[in-house]
Amino acid sequence: MRGGHRVFINNAIGRRSFLIRAGLLTGSILLNGCLRKLNGRKSEYAHIKGKLRGPNAKAGHILRDKLPIPEPSLTTSVKTLIIGGGISGLSAARWLKKQGETDFQLLELEDHAGGNSYHGANAVSAYPLGAHYIPIVNNEDSLLVDFLHESQVITHFDEHGLPFYNEYYLCFDPEERLLINGHWQEGIVPDFGVPPEERKQIEAFFRLMTAFKNAKGNDGRYAFNIPIDASSADREYRKLDKLSFKDYLQQQGFTSEYLLWYLNYCCKDDYGTPAINVSAWAGIHYFASRKGKAANAEPNSVITWPEGNGWLMKQLRDYVKGHIITSHMVYSIDVSDNEHIKVKVFDLKKQTSYTIDAGKVIMASPQFVNQKLLGGFSRKGVNYADMHYAPWLIANITVNKLPTAAKGMVLCWDNVAYGTPSVGYVNANQQDLKVIEEKKVLTYYLPLCDKEPRLSRLAAYTRIYEQWLDIVVPELEQMHPEITQHIEEIEFWLWGHGMISPAVNYIWGDTRKNAQASINNKIFFAHTDLSGISIFEEAFHHGISAAQQVLAG
Amino acid sequence: MNKKLPILLLISVFIIATCGLIYELISGTLASYLLGDSVTQFSTIIGVYLFSMGVGSWVSKYFDKNLLSWFIRIEILVGLVGGTSSSILFMVFESVSSFRIVLYGLISFTGILVGLEIPLLMRILKDRFEFKDLVSKVFTFDYIGALIASLVFPLVLIPYMGLVRTAYLFGMLNVLVALVACIVFGHEIKGVKYLKSASIISLLALLAGFIFAERITSFSESLTYSDTIIFSKSTPYQRIIITKKGRDLRLFLNGNLQFSSVDEYRYHEAIIHPVLGALPQAKNVLVMGGGDGLAVREILKYPQIQTVTLVDLDKEMTKLFRSNEMLLKLNKRSLLSPKVTVVNADAFSWARMQRKTYDAIIIDFPDPSNYSVGKLYTNTFYNIVKHLLNPDGIMVVQSTSPFVAPKSYWTVEKTLQSAGLHTVPYHNYVPSFGEWGYIMAMYKPVYKVPDTYLPGLRFVSKSCLEQMLFFPKDMARVPASVNRLNNQILVKYFEEEWSTVL
Repeated sequence: MRGGHRVFINNAIGRRSFLIRAGLLTGSILLNGCLRKLNGRKSEYAHIKGKLRGPNAKAGHILRDKLPIPEPSLTTSVKTLIIGGGISGLSAARWLKKQGETDFQLLELEDHAGGNSYHGANAVSAYPLGAHYIPIVNNEDSLLVDFLHESQVITHFDEHGLPFYNEYYLCFDPEERLLINGHWQEGIVPDFGVPPEERKQIEAFFRLMTAFKNAKGNDGRYAFNIPIDASSADREYRKLDKLSFKDYLQQQGFTSEYLLWYLNYCCKDDYGTPAINVSAWAGIHYFASRKGKAANAEPNSVITWPEGNGWLMKQLRDYVKGHIITSHMVYSIDVSDNEHIKVKVFDLKKQTSYTIDAGKVIMASPQFVNQKLLGGFSRKGVNYADMHYAPWLIANITVNKLPTAAKGMVLCWDNVAYGTPSVGYVNANQQDLKVIEEKKVLTYYLPLCDKEPRLSRLAAYTRIYEQWLDIVVPELEQMHPEITQHIEEIEFWLWGHGMISPAVNYIWGDTRKNAQASINNKIFFAHTDLSGISIFEEAFHHGISAAQQVLAG
Repeated sequence: MNKKLPILLLISVFIIATCGLIYELISGTLASYLLGDSVTQFSTIIGVYLFSMGVGSWVSKYFDKNLLSWFIRIEILVGLVGGTSSSILFMVFESVSSFRIVLYGLISFTGILVGLEIPLLMRILKDRFEFKDLVSKVFTFDYIGALIASLVFPLVLIPYMGLVRTAYLFGMLNVLVALVACIVFGHEIKGVKYLKSASIISLLALLAGFIFAERITSFSESLTYSDTIIFSKSTPYQRIIITKKGRDLRLFLNGNLQFSSVDEYRYHEAIIHPVLGALPQAKNVLVMGGGDGLAVREILKYPQIQTVTLVDLDKEMTKLFRSNEMLLKLNKRSLLSPKVTVVNADAFSWARMQRKTYDAIIIDFPDPSNYSVGKLYTNTFYNIVKHLLNPDGIMVVQSTSPFVAPKSYWTVEKTLQSAGLHTVPYHNYVPSFGEWGYIMAMYKPVYKVPDTYLPGLRFVSKSCLEQMLFFPKDMARVPASVNRLNNQILVKYFEEEWSTVL
């Protein structure tokens, strides 16, 4: 490959400068944190209750930092072992059970299943801690349609065969609003106070996206589809993966600041990072892949619950209840044995280890974890450095009142403010049937993408609760002046590796393709990082696909 | 002995007189606002007040020593009692049975104190000035003050300041007289410091009341209502306002008119009798919304009705219509009937939990002016309510104006039809609302106009109902779609159509 040498030098320089920047950044945050601790919280935040939580980073770091773990004392065996209890792992387990399998186990590091569809609850409401909705699904996606029908998200089909979605789950109106130019407008595409020339660009952009939505490649498949691997292989479209969405927009002559803000918002919302870090193919996929039609909802309608996708997760989880073992950390996988895969497991509660001899393994864990678990084993053509995971902060904010200064649209499900670092907040009580709720939980989403992911991640791990308050509350004040006194509680949840980002050349590059290949037809992989976009549908299909490979062998 | 009366003294007399009459006027006005029947209220108030003044004058002879300091104390007390009287009366109005006691208690107390003022003052001054001159001047200023008060009160004070603020203002003037007396006669009074500080504190307290009077009955609010506000309360769910002008009593929820006592029978007869008139066997009725008990009043006119279940969100609202004498008169104590069960709950969640069915269901919610109330007009809601309706039963929905908001009105019909019900739209004219619409919905495909009606109805009759079922061209059915939780088109139509009128 041309320029390989230069890349090496760049990496060496990059590493040193990374360490310096990381040191400066974390140092200053630590210092600020110490001051916060000494001076105490800002007095106007004194009444806000809550904690900073996140996935079990301690257990994760046992792996990363190779901390001592007691040697395994006994050995058990299982026909199929699933590692990871997120949507991919649960979906794989569901499929195995559906096919009549009984000899399988699912190991989960956390004390609960769910992955980033995990959720929380307080006295006011259940609320998401990560993924919070799915759009109505593509009608050809029969596996997913079946699952939704099973769980009564789709209640029946009308005379044209169109799915009828459960009306309690279809997002209640009003759906979206945007605070722009001092006004809450309906819908998130900028409109209020947008000059006519920019409006024209926005319209042109959506015309282009509609064309992509209907476009089919020379192989007769949709150019952009869900799951991603059902998309056309036509080079005409796949070449869009080789440049960034930002460059693509520039090439197409899209210069409107309002439009570019909106597209950055979309990329942050779905991929955790702005358009510059996302491939054009992925950027377009956001607008062009959803083609679902419903009997009782508009195209692009969304389905949601107070606990977000936690609701869907529970449907999967409860179906395979007896097979899930939580608080168990896999710390090594040995593929050298021809008979069995030897999986070493550490029981975090009992603090003991044991070995599982597994016939087959589905690794429904992210690839950066798999890299550690597989130890020295090198997966051919998989470059882990190609995989970028966006860190996220989720804040569940309990308010007893939502003061509004700006005029316009009332509280919606999704509420966004133009030009803010976050992607806004979602009203967790949207599906509530009560005419009036006195208190509300707002789930606020902040993608930590102001710096490169590992730096942002490090900075995020360094911050204490009070420092997150200093970041989040002022933005809320900007949206709702004088809200601070009405905030009763904020629970912060930090995802260090929130989701994979579809960087340039990742979706149709070699690493993603190679990472899907099984190891000796014994270890199979299922995770959204094998798609490059972190959505429920992808996880669901990866789980089924891995389970099908297990059953086929 | 021959000193001329100082002007300050005469001003004080003038103020005392004005204040005394103002308190009387405030009490009279409040009583007639709140209790109605102004002739009775004014004459009893004036009678009790004058009598109490007489009691005060008589009691004055028992004050022997320290007349000056007693006078100052009384001034402060009059200021405090009079100044806060209208706030107190507004606040206790909700529980009317005790209201009269408080009202007459306050009047008597104020009257006694005011009755003490002039005799005490004259005794204080009798040795300092010529008695002939004193009597003439004091009474002259007393009556001038009364004249000024009676002119200023209706022409200036009530329209520009409102009852509550006026009371505080005159309370302050009373206390001011006390303060001035403290300063002028300071050397003659024992413990003048204590009296001075008491009057300053009272003055500040009344000033605070004057400034925060808005909180009691907001001045701006009274400007938005053309009639006098006699009751206002913010509950967790809504702002309840009752206004009164002559015999017209009006209820507003969040600023929207719910009924006018003058013509509400047209509305409530129209929503009840086409339904119950067609259901001679009906025993159990469900009412959703309608916490004023007026629909229930109409329902209870049918002797065969055994139970009425009323579901209204707001506890304060049903409490008010179960305790306030004036409102009880209006709803004929319907909510106190042993046949009636009041449930304070959110209708949607409540309906989802029910298994019992009803012969008639009356849906009388506020208009779909926001997304929260809009949920109660969706196909999902009607699908739930449908299961609470007996196979032969009829439900009816108040559905806004087919004249002003035809799209909204026919959307409600379409939404009811989407739940698999047959609909019968009808309308009538309610002067305070305009042309108003209702929709009956039922399982059975045919609705037959009843031949007989209860005796004593003022509006509904066979020929009247036949007319109500006819829609002239300017209100004819327009194409509509189904109002769903995930589109809430009704809220958008409603806002669009009414904004062109208002």
